[in-house]
Amino acid sequence: MQLSLQGIVPVPLREKISTYQSGIWKSPVVLNKGEYISIQAPSGTGKTTLIHILYGLRKDYEGEVIWGTHTLNATDNEALARLRTKNISVIFQDMRLFPELTAWENIEIKLKLTNTVTAHQATEWLERLGLKDKKNAMGNTLSYGEQQRIAIIRALLQPFEWLLMDEPFSHLDLANIEKAIALIGEVVKTHNAGMILADLDENNYFPYTQKILL
Amino acid sequence: MSDNVQKNILKKLLLRTQNRSRLWAALMALCIGTTLLLLSVMIWWNFRELLFGKNQNDTLGSTYLIIGKKVTEQNMGVANATVFTHQDIDDLKHAPQVEDLGIISSNHFPVYAMMGGKLAFATDLALESVPDKFIDKMPADWKWEPGSKNLPIIISSQFLDIYNYVFAPSQGLPQLSEGSVKSIVLNFKAGSGDQSEMFLAHVVGFSDRIGSVLAPQSFIDYGNKKWSKPGIPEAPSQIILKTKDPSDTKFAGYLQKHDYNTNPENLRWSRIRAIVEVVTSATGILALFLMGIGTLVFILFIELTIARAQNSLTLLLQIGYSPHYLSRFMINRFLPMVLATVIISMVITVIGQAVASAAVVSQGLILPAIPGWPVWAALIISTAILVTLVSKSVSGAIKKQ
Repeated sequence: MQLSLQGIVPVPLREKISTYQSGIWKSPVVLNKGEYISIQAPSGTGKTTLIHILYGLRKDYEGEVIWGTHTLNATDNEALARLRTKNISVIFQDMRLFPELTAWENIEIKLKLTNTVTAHQATEWLERLGLKDKKNAMGNTLSYGEQQRIAIIRALLQPFEWLLMDEPFSHLDLANIEKAIALIGEVVKTHNAGMILADLDENNYFPYTQKILL
Repeated sequence: MSDNVQKNILKKLLLRTQNRSRLWAALMALCIGTTLLLLSVMIWWNFRELLFGKNQNDTLGSTYLIIGKKVTEQNMGVANATVFTHQDIDDLKHAPQVEDLGIISSNHFPVYAMMGGKLAFATDLALESVPDKFIDKMPADWKWEPGSKNLPIIISSQFLDIYNYVFAPSQGLPQLSEGSVKSIVLNFKAGSGDQSEMFLAHVVGFSDRIGSVLAPQSFIDYGNKKWSKPGIPEAPSQIILKTKDPSDTKFAGYLQKHDYNTNPENLRWSRIRAIVEVVTSATGILALFLMGIGTLVFILFIELTIARAQNSLTLLLQIGYSPHYLSRFMINRFLPMVLATVIISMVITVIGQAVASAAVVSQGLILPAIPGWPVWAALIISTAILVTLVSKSVSGAIKKQ
């Protein structure tokens, strides 16, 4: 699935963006399946806004975001739900776990929706990211780092052609970052998918990444 | 199994905030509203059955009226002035509120009744007959065939009252129960001279509707053919009418316009009946209003539950759950509650109908033991409306997320 951005400008950033021409804002951009895209920019420049626009959470922008044949702003909620379970997955910067569910239930709620990964496989991933003992811990008792690792696993529990990541390792130490990168890399490769990683300037997690500035 | 895990997690997320006491209150409101609606439809239909139903007699009022032409100074003594012509009868068939019409035939031959013993008497007697469908309490042995010497008769229940409360005390005679009157055999002499015949007359029933002595139609027809005096008009002088609502001003106007006479007491009864109908209808409107309130309370409860689960709903939509799937999940949680409420209301209504049916038997009235079709129709329509409203309210509330 190709991602085509046609001159998108978020309304809240319109005035700020009008002062310069950049890599993604206002420009036509075409990203093909399997490409690794790294969007590096300092805080407050619209990385999260961009990820939310690409995932269809925000509609307050000019221009068009086209996933394959779906123009996001013209896509109804049912079709959007299909895109989110079959074509696009996301790791939110703020994790967005259900605090009233356990770590395993947070995994299961996605597992049962998509039915593409087995419970055994998901358990194995939990072990790989060092969360074996946290399976039954409530979401609101997990540390940010633990929540972030659960959010990463949850994003990988579905088929996808693109994985969107918004500062996915911001709460992880180096050892956990390496484990997470390895897991993400494997799964992305399995799906032959593309990645869009929005992060700070200095980080360079994935090799062969095409860098685009905001 | 996997479906159950998912449903349990969704229940935890979406229904955790559901307040149990509020849920019971909402269900109670819905149940009371639905029950009142069904009961009011049941009461309305039962009144219709009692007033207009095919199985009913006229003990509740004046569905049946006997009319005759007024005797005035002008028509007094004029031959055939107070009989109904074919034209009159055709007109009456199409008169406002008239559902059916029966000709009251009288004997055009002499009948002489005699009895011996302590209650000995002898008198000339007038007999009448009406089509069987107009008899209020049809006796099982109500038939006569030429050649039979046993003649069943029905007398007005007023006759017995007059005898028991007026005549017997004044003459020092014993009062008589209905049963004892039925055991008395009267000797009837019909016709005159050599052609006369003797019959043994048995009282087989009492009528509240017709104020004379009734004999089977076949006997009156036989007697009129055999012993009728020449020159006596064959046209009827009284007609019995089955009316939908004799209190209708158009019907009253029709009677007045044609100088027809009837018992005004019957018309007064019908006015009372009209009032009962108005009260029943008003109860129905009130019940409809209460059901509306009950439904509104339940819908607001659903919307409140969804609003309280807003964060979870939003997040579920963000991780890929479709609005349709979540709506279906919520509808499947609320619809069984609605259906259970409706079933409870219907059970109460069915019990109410059975109780009403048993209660009216002692009044000599008949009501079916199960509710009539309008109650079932109201049940189906109200359930369909409820299901639609619940579904739309859930879908609408989830779409808003």
